[in-house]
Amino acid sequence: MHVLVINGSPRVKEYSNTDKIIAKFTEGMTENGTTFEQYEISDKKQWDDIRAAFDRNTNILIALPLYVECIPGLLMEFLETLTPKTDGSRMAFILQSGFAEGIQLRCGEAYLEQLAVRLGCDYAGTLVKGDNFSIRFLEKDKREKITAPYTEMGRVFARDGAFTSDECKKFTGPEVFPAPVRVLLGLMFNTVARMGFKKIAEGWGCTTPIDYRPYQ
Amino acid sequence: MRKEQYTKDGGIQMVLIVNTTSDRTITEEVKKYAGERGIDTDIVEAGALSISHCIGCNYCWLKTPGVCAVKDDYEIILKKVIHADQMWVISDTALGFIDHKGKNIFDRILPIATMYLRFRGDQMRHVPRYDKRTDVGLIITGEADREYLERWNERAALNFESKSLGVFGTDEVKEAVSCMC
Repeated sequence: MHVLVINGSPRVKEYSNTDKIIAKFTEGMTENGTTFEQYEISDKKQWDDIRAAFDRNTNILIALPLYVECIPGLLMEFLETLTPKTDGSRMAFILQSGFAEGIQLRCGEAYLEQLAVRLGCDYAGTLVKGDNFSIRFLEKDKREKITAPYTEMGRVFARDGAFTSDECKKFTGPEVFPAPVRVLLGLMFNTVARMGFKKIAEGWGCTTPIDYRPYQ
Repeated sequence: MRKEQYTKDGGIQMVLIVNTTSDRTITEEVKKYAGERGIDTDIVEAGALSISHCIGCNYCWLKTPGVCAVKDDYEIILKKVIHADQMWVISDTALGFIDHKGKNIFDRILPIATMYLRFRGDQMRHVPRYDKRTDVGLIITGEADREYLERWNERAALNFESKSLGVFGTDEVKEAVSCMC
């Protein structure tokens, strides 16, 4: 199998969490001979090549971050330029987000199902997982801890050509956190997480409070 | 005589209309019906402005809190939305959804949220940067999956910690205006 992998993130490749996920995923996907070609939506210079690759390939995988409950505007802008296919192609998705709970991604997932059909492809499922916000901020070993589970999902995709197995469904994790976990996380959000965000902001040269109101 | 609508705290209601299409007859119609109802609308003809996509840089959360790193006309909307009781986005459709110009208006809204997190109900949300809660509605041109858009707009409103005002076609502008403040 040969797979066209499109990174649908508008963020440049170097800092793209989606790209780090794709890297781990394709490690597993290529173990038994599956090959792939990868493109970045964030680089408009690649758009002609991506369109040609879309027309040429029959196994298409779009990996994307959730942007306001659906696909990012830049990815939408690109997809609007495609001509729907008529060659029985299959389209699958890796949908990832910062918010951790599965429920946060379901609205986006529902759109991807109809998007595949509107682009003339058979829908081959979506691998859904959140809690990926921190990937870009972490050192390599900690980052790998978050992205490593995607390698197994790459193996599954090479085997099935789809994300329809129970393994893929379980990969999402909890739909919502149980109440006691929410209480604990709530405490963390107000303490450790805030300190962590402040530290990142200082590292980026931020000179105002994180909740600063510039327009009021 | 024009009667003004008031908010709970005594301020005048403000309805922000962002037209991402090039069709100004829609906003003309909105203006007409809103005028009849004494609604104060602030119309931004975004179709004539330069508004790019969100690049996901996170600067508005962690480097220049509240300020977008993409320097274009979106700042006009950002400065208005923080005072608006409602925001209505008029958008063309593509692939069953709002098109990229409409979606960019929502994606670029991130600076009105902070990096901080909290639970609202059983789900995580970002803590809003400002006090105002802005309800959101959609007016769409062309074919789309209406049921899906209703669901999506409900979810999008969660990001404003507000509510959805619904999704209306351009043949239902009067109905949309009846939902304005």
